[in-house]
This record gives sequence, structure tokens and C-alpha cells, in this order.
Amino acid sequence: MADDVIVLDRLTKSFGATVAVDGLSMAIPAGEIFGFLGANGAGKTTTMRMLCGLTRPTSGHGFVTGHDTWKARYTIRPRFGYVAQRFSLYPDLTVLENLRFFGAAYQVSGKRLGERVEALLDQLDLRPKKKALAGSLSGGMRQMLALSCALVHEPRLLFLDEPTSGLDPVHRQQIWDLLYELSSSGTTIFVTTHYMDEAERCTEVGLLQQGRLLAKETPLRLKQRIKGRLLEMQIDPAMEGLARLRAVPGILGVALRSGRIRVYSAVAERLLAEWQRQWPFPELSWLGHGWAAPDMEDVFKSFSQGYVEILEATTP
Amino acid sequence: MNPGANFRSVASVAKKEFLHVLRDWRVLILILTLPPAFTLLFGHAFEAIAITEAPALLRDADHSAESRKLIDRLRENKTFAWEVREVDAAPPVDLLRRGVLIDVVIPPKWGHGLNDGDPLPLHLTLDGTDTDTAPQLRGAVQESLGDFQLDSRQEMIDNLPDEVFELGKKIPEPVRKQFTSAMSPWTVESTVLYNPHLKFIDFVMPGIVGLILQLLTVTLTACTIARERESGTLAQLLVSPLSRNQIVAGKVFPHLVISMLLITVTLATGHFHFHVEYRSPALISLLCLLFLVCSLGTGLLISAFCQTQSQAIQFAVFYLLPVFPLSGAFAPLAQLPHGIQLLAQVFPLTHFCHAFRLVSLCQAGASAIVGDLVFLFVGAVVTCLGAAFLLQRIQD
Repeated sequence: MADDVIVLDRLTKSFGATVAVDGLSMAIPAGEIFGFLGANGAGKTTTMRMLCGLTRPTSGHGFVTGHDTWKARYTIRPRFGYVAQRFSLYPDLTVLENLRFFGAAYQVSGKRLGERVEALLDQLDLRPKKKALAGSLSGGMRQMLALSCALVHEPRLLFLDEPTSGLDPVHRQQIWDLLYELSSSGTTIFVTTHYMDEAERCTEVGLLQQGRLLAKETPLRLKQRIKGRLLEMQIDPAMEGLARLRAVPGILGVALRSGRIRVYSAVAERLLAEWQRQWPFPELSWLGHGWAAPDMEDVFKSFSQGYVEILEATTP
Repeated sequence: MNPGANFRSVASVAKKEFLHVLRDWRVLILILTLPPAFTLLFGHAFEAIAITEAPALLRDADHSAESRKLIDRLRENKTFAWEVREVDAAPPVDLLRRGVLIDVVIPPKWGHGLNDGDPLPLHLTLDGTDTDTAPQLRGAVQESLGDFQLDSRQEMIDNLPDEVFELGKKIPEPVRKQFTSAMSPWTVESTVLYNPHLKFIDFVMPGIVGLILQLLTVTLTACTIARERESGTLAQLLVSPLSRNQIVAGKVFPHLVISMLLITVTLATGHFHFHVEYRSPALISLLCLLFLVCSLGTGLLISAFCQTQSQAIQFAVFYLLPVFPLSGAFAPLAQLPHGIQLLAQVFPLTHFCHAFRLVSLCQAGASAIVGDLVFLFVGAVVTCLGAAFLLQRIQD
């Protein structure tokens, strides 16, 4: 417990009758890149705002570096950096002015502020734009600036709310490279996302649905929670095949992946044997089949759709 | 937290707010030019409140020596620009169509009536549209008529036949004295205190200054927090170690500096252009300072209460609107009904105008305006603390 930077203890937030976050309990050790995965409205942002001390929990507690996130919110504020979901810097101030303001707000001053600003301009490729107004930057550059502003006081903990949403692959890669760099120097990172490939890059992933935590494991272990491999059918026409297979008893769900139909079923081998004896869809041509290893998208779909038949109850 | 760090935190927010003002050059130009421009405009508009050369129609249906003397008297009155007509009959006239504000008819046999012990009234028709003009014009006609009567009486006394004096000597002395007294003009000798030349500009200047500054300060700050709430930067400020009081102080300070500059410019315009004198500069400065912080705080309170900038602007307008007619900035507060006067006490501008006039016109000391100063001080503290309290309201 001593190494847990973030601890949630039955953390709950209701807005009127709506329960946005429902009794979340978990602990995140120092040095992790914790990915918080969930659909829009699952409660990711509300959880993060409670951990940052921006929103008061309805019940339960959050602890950051051992301090209550609400009662001791002024104590913990200097210890973390926060990048909100929306671009939230001053568009009418320049890159330099934004950096210097947030530095001063975090009580970084004098020579150290100058050094930090210079270092961040280089680290995040902002030097050529340092005199530009923040509002004139491209989406990717803005996000780099938002990150720099959150890093100016060298926090050991970083909260990032969908830092790459809406960015092109080049900037997403750049931001993840930076996160790895920070992580390797010991910074704990709490990041929300709904990109599966980004979840794969985290050291640990929490799956959130309707305010409840469905699972919290490393990406590898999460994938191992799906029993065996997944059947992939190559059928022509594919869309017609998708509709027909979805209705077959014993099939929990289907998904189109690279033109092939991925089948979620606990009885896939039995079905395949039946089909090999007698293919029940004469209007569809069966071109071939194979077996695929589950990936994060399969994990997310299985957990969120509740395909309990193909999921291990606990980590193997 | 040590005072140095506290000061640096406030200064960081203040510097940022200054940059916002400097970057928005359109509004900056407006802020810098409007106060002196409005002072000149309002000042000239209210400088001379007395009516001069009002278009007026005078119809003489009498054609007597007396009516001509009265006409001469009326012509001397600068209130009117007369169009004099000799008529035989004076039917009712449509003022609007004739383009005049008053119609005076000297009825037939008017001069005869004066000499016959049966004075007839003059017929006045007045435009009562704005409620102020008609009484003033009637007063001005009556003034000329009074002058005319004095002339006539003097003339009568000068020409009294000797028999009257002989007769007078037979009257008992007390009665004679009463008669002499009744025949001499009774006058008042008045001393006007505080604004001896009755310059309306001296009365209205604090109102003009206060109104302009009230308008600018409230609208300046009404958007500052709402804008940050809208853009999400408020959340970014609130997760930083800056306290809510530091954020509010940082927002008040630069706007206070700007509005102190503006109030100086406005007062200087009043002094150099309209020759308005200000007494007790120290007391006036304190009054201005408290009034400005109170107004800036009101703007911030509106801003912290609203979710968006457009909401904040509407709230600011709804706040400012009743202040204009009810604060006593232009019209004396004493003319309003008692209940409204009580309501007017909630506006900082009411206290500013009241105290400013007491100090500047009546040369009152601090003790006379201590109530106003306390109100403004409490208002400043309450609005600023209220704004800091409401900052936290982000989502819930």
C-alpha cells in the first residue's frame, strides 16, 4: 500500500438520480501508466475530476499520495499535473506566456522557471512556436502545449483526460513517446482513453462501464481472460454473413475485422464441426476460416457486452 | 503560506489578466476613449438645465397700451423666442402644428380690465409632454407678468394725485403704515449654500463619473470568470495551488488599476473642461477606490454566478439598468418615492454620488460620509468573497 500513489475506496458520485461513478475501489502503484478505458459517459472524467479535487465525492474516498482528494485538496494540488479533455489554455496568450503563467501558478519562479520553460520548449518541439498565440496553434501543438503546462512544475503524477482524442497518428505517437519517457523517469500516469491501441500501451488497464469497474489488469492478463482463441470466418458477402451468424444460437456476438467475421462464442469448435458437415447458408459462400488471438478490442467488447461464457472469472 | 509566495501567486494571475486586456485591443480602445468622450457628451447635455429660446406664440387680441407694455416685458425674457401676432379673435391653437411649446393669449379688453378694477387672466396653452417644460414656461410668463405689475404699480404711485396724500394724512398711522407696506414689493433675499452659482454641472458631475465607471467596471469583470468557465481554463486554475481568494484578488487588481486611471481621466475632464472643483482630494480618492472595488466585485460576483459569458452580460445589463434612474446620479434622489429611495440604497452608485456631493459641494468631512464609506467597504468585501466562494461551482 505504501507505494500506491492513487487509492480509490468505494468512490461514488451521483448527479441527482444518475450515478456517474458507482463505488469504485482500486489502487494504482507508483510508476504505472494506468489506462482508464470506457465508453463516453462511463464515468472516466468524473472519476478523474474527483481524484484532482475538482469535484466532491458523494460518498467514499479517493487518496492521492496518501491524502484525501477532497479534504486535503490544497495539499495534493502541487503534486500532480492535469490536462483536461478540452483544450483549456489561454488562446490570447502566447506559448511562452501560457507556460510562464502556469509555472508561476504552481509556484515555480525565478531561475528554475526559466530553466523549466527552456527544457519543455525543446522536449515538446514548441521552440519554433514560442511567440505564437496559443489559439493559433494546430490541434496537435495545442495538446503538446497543454502537456507542457501540466509538466512545468515537474509533477511525479500526471492526470491526462483523453490527451490524444482528435489528434493525427503522428502527434499521438509523439505524445505516447513522451509519456514513456516520463514513466521511465518514475512519473505515475493516469490516462483515460477510448482508443484500444493506446490501452495496449499502458502497464495496467481499468475497464469502466456505467460507473463500475469491470476489470483491472495488465493488458496481457486482460487478453488471457478470454478463453481460448476466437474463430474468424471468411464469408462472401461479408455483411450478409454478419447478420446471419449473429442470429445463430450459441453465438454471443460477431464483429467485422479486416473483412473477416470474428465470432464470440463458447461453442465455436462445435459450431465449426457442424458447419463442416452441413453449411446451413446456401446463399453465402464460405471461403475459409482461421483462429485469432484475442486483442484489447475483443476484451473491451466481451466485458462491455457481458459475454461471460467466454470470460475466465478470474485471471488464470 | 508566506506573504512573498502569496503575493507572487496573486501577481501571476494579475499579470495574466493584464495581458488579456492588452490583447483585446478593440475593447482596450473603447475603455480608453469612452470615459472622457461620455463625460464631455453628458456634461454638455446637462450643463445648462434652464430652458432658453423656447419657440412661443403670443397673440394680442387687446391692442391696448398695456398689452404692448406686457409684450415688451415678455420680449425681454430670454426663456422665449416669441412670434407675436395681432389678432381679433384667438381660437384654440394646435401647438404641435405651429411648432411652439406655449401659446399666450392677451384677451380683448385686458388692458381695460386692469384699469377697471377687474383684471382678466392671460390664457396660456402649454405643451405638457415631458412634465418639466410646461411648469418652467408658465413660471417664466408669471415672472414677466410680475415685473409688468411692479412697473404698473410704480407708475401708479408716481402719478398719485395730491388729494390722495391729503386723504392719507387723515388715516390713522397704523393703517397708513400697513397700506404703505402693502404697496411696496415684498421680496425674499436668499443665500444659496453649497452650490452658490447653482451650476447643474457641479451637481451632476459625480453622477456622470459614477455612471460611466459603474458601467465599465461591471462589464469589464462580468466576463472574466465566465469566460474561463466556458473555455475550461477555470478548472485548470482550480487544480493549481492558487487559492480562490488569490484568483479573485489577481483578477480585481489589474482592473482596479485601469479603472483608477479612468476615474482620474474622467474627473480631470470635468475639472479642466467644465471647471468643476473637487475638495478633499484624499477623501475623494478613498471614496473612488472603495466604489471601484465594490463595482468590480459586483461584476466578478455576476461572473462567478453565471455559466457562460452571454449569461453574464445579460445579468450585468439587468443589474445596471435600474441603477441608471434610481441611483440619484442625474435626478435628485429626494424626488423619488420613499420606498424607491430605500431600494436605491442597495446600489453602490447611490452612496458614491451621495458622498461625493457631500464632500465636493458641501465641503463635508469624513464623519458626514462614514455611512457611505462603510457601505462601500462592506460591499467590496462581500462581493469579492462571494465571487471567490462561487468559483468552486463548476459542475455541481
